[in-house]
Amino acid sequence: MDGNRTRESPDAWHMTDDLHAEQGKGDPFAAAIRATRMSMIITDPRKPDNPIVFANDSFLRLTGYARDEIIGRNCRFLQGPETDAEAVAEVRAAVADGTDISIDLLNYRKDGSTFWNALYLSPVSNDKGELLFFFASQLDVSDRKLSERRIAADKERFEEAVKERTRELEAALETQTALLHEVDHRVKNNLQMISSLILMQSRTISDEAVKNSLTTMLERIEALSTVHRRLYQSKDVSKFDVSDFARDLVSDLLAASGRSQISSKLDLEPIVVPADKATPVALIVNELVTNALKHAFRDETMPGSIGVKMSQPDGHLIIEVSDDGAGMDGNAGDGTFGMRLIRQLGRQLHADVEWRNTSPGTQVVIKMPNGPQHEGDAP
Amino acid sequence: MSEPLKVLIVEDEALLAMELESLIEEAGHRVVGWAMSSDEAKTMVDASAADIAFVDIHLSDGPTGLDVAEHIRRSGQPMVVFMTANPKRIPENFAGAVGVISKPYTMNGLMSALRYLQEGVRRPPPSSALPTGFTLSPAFATVWAPA
Ligand SMILES: Nc1ncnc2c1ncn2[C@@H]1O[C@H](COP(=O)(O)OP(=O)(O)O)[C@@H](O)[C@H]1O
Ligand SMILES: [Mg+2]
Repeated sequence: MDGNRTRESPDAWHMTDDLHAEQGKGDPFAAAIRATRMSMIITDPRKPDNPIVFANDSFLRLTGYARDEIIGRNCRFLQGPETDAEAVAEVRAAVADGTDISIDLLNYRKDGSTFWNALYLSPVSNDKGELLFFFASQLDVSDRKLSERRIAADKERFEEAVKERTRELEAALETQTALLHEVDHRVKNNLQMISSLILMQSRTISDEAVKNSLTTMLERIEALSTVHRRLYQSKDVSKFDVSDFARDLVSDLLAASGRSQISSKLDLEPIVVPADKATPVALIVNELVTNALKHAFRDETMPGSIGVKMSQPDGHLIIEVSDDGAGMDGNAGDGTFGMRLIRQLGRQLHADVEWRNTSPGTQVVIKMPNGPQHEGDAP
Repeated sequence: MSEPLKVLIVEDEALLAMELESLIEEAGHRVVGWAMSSDEAKTMVDASAADIAFVDIHLSDGPTGLDVAEHIRRSGQPMVVFMTANPKRIPENFAGAVGVISKPYTMNGLMSALRYLQEGVRRPPPSSALPTGFTLSPAFATVWAPA
């Protein structure tokens, strides 16, 4: 124990602190409480307004008061304008109920400066259960409170910044989406206009060869249009369903040909290709189906059948277009435009293109690599 | 063959309207009017006694095709078919319309749609299959194409 303590008279307990007589003089526990660095007080709830009856030196150091300024007073002089009224009410309730409480309070020193007080308050009763005292300890936790508040402020600032950034990104995305819709809308309208122009021109022409040429042109453009319409109807614009496309195309071309004696046999697994392959695949299928329709069945009265099969064994897309018509007499190699188109688009897709004479008819097999087809795979 | 349809075209793009008119007349039907704006369309609806109105969503006075459809719904005729490059803009209830033909449509897609609509107007429900590129509204789907 500190030697300086001797400046307090042995009777100080009774002289300075109006403690109840039950507190024995020379009690080592009382001496420890007087000397500890932890600020402590004792109040007497049996006296009016529950006054302080004992305060140790640490309490005086912490609050800046002299002992005779506080003994006999209720502790509320520690409160000030910034003290949280709710926290004070909690303390008051604990005192009224005679229960203990641990709470952080903003308290005021004599000089008006503030500190954060981690208050611990507990009732002391005698053997008969009568409430004798409240024992209270005060720990200055201003540093902890300050850093807590700094962290809270940082967090708030950070959250605000994140919110702000999110708002910016959402706005940017909205603009982008609107732009994409606008472009998509224009592309579709322009495709429709190109078709319309060709059709209108075609109506004015009497030469059959020229008319046919324009019709072929219209079919190719309509194939592109169908790709675009289907692509932007789907939820995922990065993938294109070639089977759905083939179904649309065949029924459209067959109906347009007016050749009711020609039937179609479709054997289509659901297969998607990345969007950048959609156009070349669609154009190849269009060439093959229109060729079969135009060239395989010259005799308009003969029944015939056109088959389209799509499958995807081991990372490949295989497209088979077949007919049971006239056959080609091995003239697939010549440099007509339709054939060149198929070969060049096939090269672009790294596809093997094979013409087979199936007598009767022709079968064309396109085999191209088309990555693994798992859900969620990047194209 | 049943009676030809009287068709009203509500489309702000002259080229598309012109071509649509040719196709409709080639198919043996009659175009009773061509409106470019919603005001024009509303006046023509009230005056023309058309069977079918092909209505673009985006007209010369803005995205007012839906207003036109609402006006037609209130006046009770004709049947509305949207014709748009932006079918996602159409509300869930289709503003009372039969359905939508998505642009770009093919020549044959439109011919099939006309045949289908003629059946739907003259002796519903239509007997031919729903044409590609034609989407029915939920209300008409339950009547014309029950699952
Ligand atoms: N399925 C087929 N059956 C019979 N002949 C065909 C078939 N496909 C193509 N041909 C023949 O190959 C020729 C070249 O075809 P293509 O290059 O597409 O030109 P086009 O279709 O403009 O005549 C056709 O003119 C036709 O004689
Ligand atoms: Mg050809």
